[in-house]
Amino acid sequence: MSSLERASSAPRFPFLVALVPLLFGLTCVFIANIPISILGGLVPSPLLALVPVYFWCLVRPDLMTPAAALAIGFSEDVMSGSPPGVWTLSFVLTYALVARQRDSFAGVSGLVAVVGFAVASAFVCAVAWMTVAFLAFLTPGVRLPPLAPIIGELAMTVLFYVPTALVAGWLHHRLVGALRGDI
Amino acid sequence: MANAWKIARKSNAQLPLVIVIALAVVLVLLGKAQSGILDKARVHLTDMLAPVLQTVRVPVAGFGRWMGSVTDIFSVYQQNLKLKEENARLRQWRNVAIVLQGRVGRYQTLLHAVPDPQMNAVLARVIGRANRPFLQTMILDAGREHHALPGQAVLDARGMIGRIYLTGSRTSWVILLTDLNSRTPVTISASAGNSGNIQAMMTGDNSAYPTLDMVSHTVTLHDGDQVTSSGDGGLLPSGLPIGTVVSDGSGGWRVALLADPGASQDVEILNFSKPQEAPPATAQLPVEAASLKPQALQPPPAPAPIAAAPVPPKPKPKPVVVTPADLAAPAEVMER
Repeated sequence: MSSLERASSAPRFPFLVALVPLLFGLTCVFIANIPISILGGLVPSPLLALVPVYFWCLVRPDLMTPAAALAIGFSEDVMSGSPPGVWTLSFVLTYALVARQRDSFAGVSGLVAVVGFAVASAFVCAVAWMTVAFLAFLTPGVRLPPLAPIIGELAMTVLFYVPTALVAGWLHHRLVGALRGDI
Repeated sequence: MANAWKIARKSNAQLPLVIVIALAVVLVLLGKAQSGILDKARVHLTDMLAPVLQTVRVPVAGFGRWMGSVTDIFSVYQQNLKLKEENARLRQWRNVAIVLQGRVGRYQTLLHAVPDPQMNAVLARVIGRANRPFLQTMILDAGREHHALPGQAVLDARGMIGRIYLTGSRTSWVILLTDLNSRTPVTISASAGNSGNIQAMMTGDNSAYPTLDMVSHTVTLHDGDQVTSSGDGGLLPSGLPIGTVVSDGSGGWRVALLADPGASQDVEILNFSKPQEAPPATAQLPVEAASLKPQALQPPPAPAPIAAAPVPPKPKPKPVVVTPADLAAPAEVMER
């Protein structure tokens, strides 16, 4: 089946297909936050859920809506144990950034695409750190959060981008529809 | 159909975006006002996941040990020498401890010392660990059904690991001593040079070595000074082993923890509640010896008859107020 034919074939269950990005994002949240550490907690777990938000925000923003980004960020908040709202705000603001700079992010491939995702990851981590720092500033006696753990989180997130994006791309091809490059 | 990309571009998400950003900000502020709004969902989730985590725990722990042993292969000989040396030193200390234990026992007998209150402990297993930028926690397979409650101390065989801060029906979340939000009042027992104990606050900063704050500038700490829980505030029992003082190289002091949260598999949850001091029983009060009569024991005075003419008031004798604290010391003497 050629990509054109695949693109032209209408999905059988459009409602379920529209939920694929959101469900994949929630699955990523669940996997990344399973409290099992193979390396004894030496490295933080990656923000896997950022990959589907970034991916579908570029490819099909009609499926990855701001509300979906909000839901994914909120579930990240619930499962990660971080202060409420930190990842929700970070994900939503990153969504806004990627949606605004969509042409810049979507037109790249290969290593440059990884760099583009790294920029988005750095933004989400920076927003999260600043939010926690702001909350710490409001609480007397609480010091600023250290930078090293959030940098570790950023590194792990970028490291896991390629395998997670491959899965997202495979799901998109099989269930959702054509990528931008196929059209 | 080639318009899919064009359709996608016309997401027209400006208004929802503004609304969700506002919602996210509200959630942050709401979380600041009520930090526990998500806690119930978290413990429900871990309660549901507990059987899965218990099943997966064994192979993951085995893999972790195998990964650790891969790096240990290259230092087995050095470790063996170090362990032999440490073992010889520990045998010496064991003999000293036995002698001291006997001496302490004799002193306690002589002084009729009241033994420390017994603490119940719940044995729990670590079924999960999470190392996130803003939270370092572990999840235990004991919850409210096992009488685990928030605030209770969690220890492994070597020392204190942290405190429980969330309990579900079958699981608990532990905030580690290294966590950013952890603050523990501690006592530093000087190893040399100083006399007496030093009070301080141990604060986690997500590094392996929590910092020591609020140490008086007049005291000098030394590497190797023992750090134990002080019991201030009544949340934790005093004397729980925590670690030793190490210098951070920039004039500050940190604590090298005795426990290893990354490797602990079985832990104890201490059921500590500071017993309220009961006043001595009435029968034990030295009423006659002190020539005092507690006013509480006297029957209430009968109401005075109303006089026909007003009588100038006589100067009343100063009432003697007997507090339980005043009576506690003679009571103890009498008991002895």
